Amino acid sequence: MTVVDVDELSMSYKAPVRKGGLRAALGSLVRREYREVLALDQVSFSIAPGEVAGFIGPNGAGKTTTMKILSGILHPTSGHVRVLDSVPWQRRSTYLKRIAFVRGSQPVGGSQELTVMDSLEYQRLLYDVPRETFRRTLADLEALLDLGPLLERQLRALSLGERMRVGLAMALIYRPEVLFLDEPTIGLDVSAGGQIRAFVAEYVEQTGATVLLTSHYMADVASLCPRLILIDHGQVQYDGPLAELSARLSPYKLIRISAEGSADPSAFGDVVEAADGQWVLRVPRDEVARTTSQLLQAFEVVDLAVEEPPLEKVIDQAYREGLR
Amino acid sequence: MRTAVLLGFRLRQEVLEWSGAWWFLLTLVVQAVVAPLIGLFVWSAVYPDNSAIGRYYVAVILVTLMTESFEQHTFSERIYDGTLSHELLRPQPVVLGVIGSNLAIRAWLTFLGAPIVVLTGVALRTGFEWRSLVASVPYIVLAAVLVFLWTFMLSLTAFWTNRVHAVVGFGSQLIFLFGGTAAPIGFLPDTWRRVAEVLPFYGMNGLPAEIAAGTRDGGSLLYQVVWVVVLAAAVWALWRAGVRRYTAVGS
Repeated sequence: MTVVDVDELSMSYKAPVRKGGLRAALGSLVRREYREVLALDQVSFSIAPGEVAGFIGPNGAGKTTTMKILSGILHPTSGHVRVLDSVPWQRRSTYLKRIAFVRGSQPVGGSQELTVMDSLEYQRLLYDVPRETFRRTLADLEALLDLGPLLERQLRALSLGERMRVGLAMALIYRPEVLFLDEPTIGLDVSAGGQIRAFVAEYVEQTGATVLLTSHYMADVASLCPRLILIDHGQVQYDGPLAELSARLSPYKLIRISAEGSADPSAFGDVVEAADGQWVLRVPRDEVARTTSQLLQAFEVVDLAVEEPPLEKVIDQAYREGLR
Repeated sequence: MRTAVLLGFRLRQEVLEWSGAWWFLLTLVVQAVVAPLIGLFVWSAVYPDNSAIGRYYVAVILVTLMTESFEQHTFSERIYDGTLSHELLRPQPVVLGVIGSNLAIRAWLTFLGAPIVVLTGVALRTGFEWRSLVASVPYIVLAAVLVFLWTFMLSLTAFWTNRVHAVVGFGSQLIFLFGGTAAPIGFLPDTWRRVAEVLPFYGMNGLPAEIAAGTRDGGSLLYQVVWVVVLAAAVWALWRAGVRRYTAVGS
């Protein structure tokens, strides 16, 4: 059983093009030229109920386009999509009441002069939320998102972090079953980003909602998404567990070691970093156990840790070099 | 019922929102009354003994304030900045929000412009008959619907062009010329008058003003209703085509 079902989804559009200069500009008045831009190319994946999937890729890969199609803002050129057994771009009320699309770049729509409470009240009417359920959910959201001090403030006067919290509250006040989160922590500081991540994790645990999340911040992906869908040039390049992607891209692990005296473990692996008596060695995955044992025998080890390579580096490598 | 509740709430929201911009609304009031006042001064100078002209133009000011539409600002900008997507994902017709804004702005313009109407009326010693004012109500309501549909229809061109303000500006000039603001259409040359009586603009302004001023006993509501149907059909077709384009290309 799946909640989101995407099958051979393609999206292309025509972009007007012309050469520079007056002659080309005048020529385009008579005959316009277009270039076909392929935003999505035969994308297929599905998401099970309650699953949290990270949807990542470099800028222009097709992430937001896919999110817009799944939420119902765009209709594709070809392919089949079913979300909660509905065709999203038909935008039926029954469907729209079961999903939420939150964009970090525009977290709160509607009248900016209104207070947060007025906006939430409007959501209650719009989504037919019974008063008792509304009161209960609002109390939950107040606690989880620290909304109390914001309820009487006008939307236009909120900071970016506050707008994101309010945007989430407005999206979740009607308890959607599927949540599309597009860069929910964009522009937020470390604490605000962490607060949003903790909230999303808590919401998913409480409600069993299905989430598709895009983000350029690996902290979001690492902490929320057991499953990763990597898209590039409009095609799915990888779909699977995060750890597997890391292992596939980087056949090495990192051994971080501190030892007594003037220890020099450079003979045991490639030195990635060396400072203040601490060394970081890059070692092939299948040699980690043997190398660790040798290090423990050779030096008076104060501290030793085996780490996966930083996710940022793995993803960066995937973006630059691809997976094939 | 649900639609009425949502519209009522949206109207309340918009009235509240615009209450924070009363100074801006005052500039809109000034813009709305300048053209009829110029018409009043010109035609009063041409026919100084005709008291009906003063009455007519006071009614034109009132009708203009009650029927002003600014969908090129309230709606088209949402297409340009992409926030129309928020509206598309709400489980309600998008037009509900557009109508809410429209009614709220009109309510504020009528409220803020009422002193100008009263002052002009008193200054010109114009007297209105209650019977004429009551008789004009359905014409004013239909005029309000017509102006909204006309402006909204032109604003929908924002799906295709970035120059929506020029398009709507052109549409407003047509209302000014053929609607009875530049001149009461009875003063126009015969051919122009016949053309003006057939076009929808007279029903947006001149006709309800003439009924309110008592210079015309009865007019054809059917003429206004026919244009409401025609413009509503055009709006519906443009909306469908526009949303199809918007959802094919995105923002």
